[in-house]
Amino acid sequence: MTDKINKTNKMSPDSKRTLKRILKYSAIRLVSLFLTVMVGIFLTIMIANMGGYVDELVKGQVNENLMMRVANDPTYKVMTPERRKTFFQDQLELEYERLGLNQPFMVRSFRFLWNAMRMNLGSAQQMTSDSGSKQVKLIITERLAPSLLLMGTANLTLFFLAITVALTLSRKYGSRVDKFFISLSPLSSMPSWFYGIFFILLFSAVLKILPFSGMIDSPPPRTTGGYILSVLRHLILPASSLIISASFASIYSWRTFFLIYSSEDYVEMAKAKGLPSKLIKRRYILRPTLPTIITSFSLMMITMWMGALLTEKIFGWPGLGSVIVAAVGSFDTAVIVGTTIIYGYLLAITVFVLDFVYALVDPRVKVGQGGN
Amino acid sequence: MQKDTKYLLEIKDLYLHFTTQIGPVQAVDGVDFKMKKNEAVVILGESGCGKSSLTKAILRLLPRNVGKYEGKVLLNGEDTMLLDDEDYRQQIRWKKMSLVPQAAMTSLNPVLKVGDQVAEPLIIGEGMDKDLAMEKAAEYFQYVGVPVDFLSRYAFELSGGMRQRAALAMALITEPDLVILDEPTSALDVLTQCNIMNLLKRIKMENQASFILVTHDIATSSELANRVAVMYAGEIIEVSDSEIFFNKPLHPYAQKLMASVPRLRGNDELEFIVGKPPSLIGLPEGCRFAPRCPFKHERCDKNPPVVEIGTSLVKCWLHTDSK
Repeated sequence: MTDKINKTNKMSPDSKRTLKRILKYSAIRLVSLFLTVMVGIFLTIMIANMGGYVDELVKGQVNENLMMRVANDPTYKVMTPERRKTFFQDQLELEYERLGLNQPFMVRSFRFLWNAMRMNLGSAQQMTSDSGSKQVKLIITERLAPSLLLMGTANLTLFFLAITVALTLSRKYGSRVDKFFISLSPLSSMPSWFYGIFFILLFSAVLKILPFSGMIDSPPPRTTGGYILSVLRHLILPASSLIISASFASIYSWRTFFLIYSSEDYVEMAKAKGLPSKLIKRRYILRPTLPTIITSFSLMMITMWMGALLTEKIFGWPGLGSVIVAAVGSFDTAVIVGTTIIYGYLLAITVFVLDFVYALVDPRVKVGQGGN
Repeated sequence: MQKDTKYLLEIKDLYLHFTTQIGPVQAVDGVDFKMKKNEAVVILGESGCGKSSLTKAILRLLPRNVGKYEGKVLLNGEDTMLLDDEDYRQQIRWKKMSLVPQAAMTSLNPVLKVGDQVAEPLIIGEGMDKDLAMEKAAEYFQYVGVPVDFLSRYAFELSGGMRQRAALAMALITEPDLVILDEPTSALDVLTQCNIMNLLKRIKMENQASFILVTHDIATSSELANRVAVMYAGEIIEVSDSEIFFNKPLHPYAQKLMASVPRLRGNDELEFIVGKPPSLIGLPEGCRFAPRCPFKHERCDKNPPVVEIGTSLVKCWLHTDSK
């Protein structure tokens, strides 16, 4: 009886310690990720403005426009040349002030950064949202949900699929199935959009069982069930091309991780202890390998987000990828910067969540002098 | 058929060969060996003579590249080699035989609490209730001298000696008939080694447990052993009672081995054995120690017989005449 009381008393500071450790860990990670995003956005602003050179271009354009106007308008012809010159100068400065060009670029770039970090994204130069707004924020948020749906489905499926296959293969090391899968791994060198084209050709054009592109039938089904089903049908091809292109490489590398960890002494101990092989697989191979796999997965995810841009475009998936492709096509700097910011934040959140999972999965992860 | 249960463990003609690209490694090559209940047998030998492979062969912990694995391993008169893997796992592993591994540092799962790992054989193997199993684990932790609150710690939070003690608690918790200790102290400093050896002595006295202790450390093993078996190049070349062995070993190799151990009293110069143990790949015919043996003669080209002298067994031509 006293033993039990002792035990519960001893557990509570322990779990408190764990909670404190994880909180501290997440706080530090959040701050560092925020700084990373900030640097990324600042670089994007610098690149999109060509380090201030775009300002010079705009200034030149304004200058020329004004000059033409003054030269062509007969009302200015009555002015004396000096009067006309000061008038021209005043007009020019007014125009600069309107466009904010009267301040040096460095100062402006930091203001851009401040606005960007607060998601104050301004208005687009060329593009409009589906609902007809010029607001960059609206253009992006409209497209965010489909992107998240596609990436979420693809990433989660990939994670669980690759882990299961990799673990099974590692237990059958050297077998025919193992060799077959390993020989397939170069297939990952093809990007996901390539598989997209191939799948559209096969499943939509030849077999005619899945839709070519888009996210929903037109006209959209009236019932909620029908709507969901239609979205799912459209989701199959883009999601599987993302999954397929990433899966062979991750299966290969994760299988190798599992192999390395299966030769650890504690796995042999577990076998000597007479534990059933399913339990050994789960507790003694999967659990210790999981931190390594999560690291590899979060790295892979970054590449996958990049590949998704073109894949979305190919499938006509109304996501962020399509927006960014359109924005680059029409030189819409505001939208380019806006989408980059959103991508930055999304990636940071993903990495943060994975880090959090990492800290939960591996008791050795410590921040500061946590523990005893 | 009457089962001969005089012996706890009886190994007959046990072979364990590994296949490699340069040929088969004859790690365990025709080992015969018997031990009684409540005995502590020390298996001595240089590194690379097949000691650890022998424990692996007894416990059926085989790597992937096994070439030849045959012979008889009789436990309480029952041949465990006849059981299939699943039966072996359920009937023998940790119920009849347990293992204290060579590297306790790496033999504990880093992401699982130590207590869970120690209680695991009870919970999984015997279907014991978790709280009850943890209580028993706490009992054994106290017994081997690990603070009970270390049950909820992770392996990386324990020192080397603590981990070794935890591994010992894990091996004892199911009260198996035979505990095999594979160099349990070789990775520890001298003081911790001494502590662990004292603990082993205490366990042996109090529990009447049977041990096989595999080691290359003659000095520490002398305190614990009832019987000593010497291994050389995959074979057991001498088995003697410890009093006999430590005073007057029979095999030339064992004599040389004993002469290389420093003693507290006496001014004998320490000897060493010329040459090195043979590679276990492509062993020659005849006595395997012959190339390094000071008493080598013509007969050594042929495989020597096992000679019984009193309670001792020795595999050497020199003793065939004295019989």
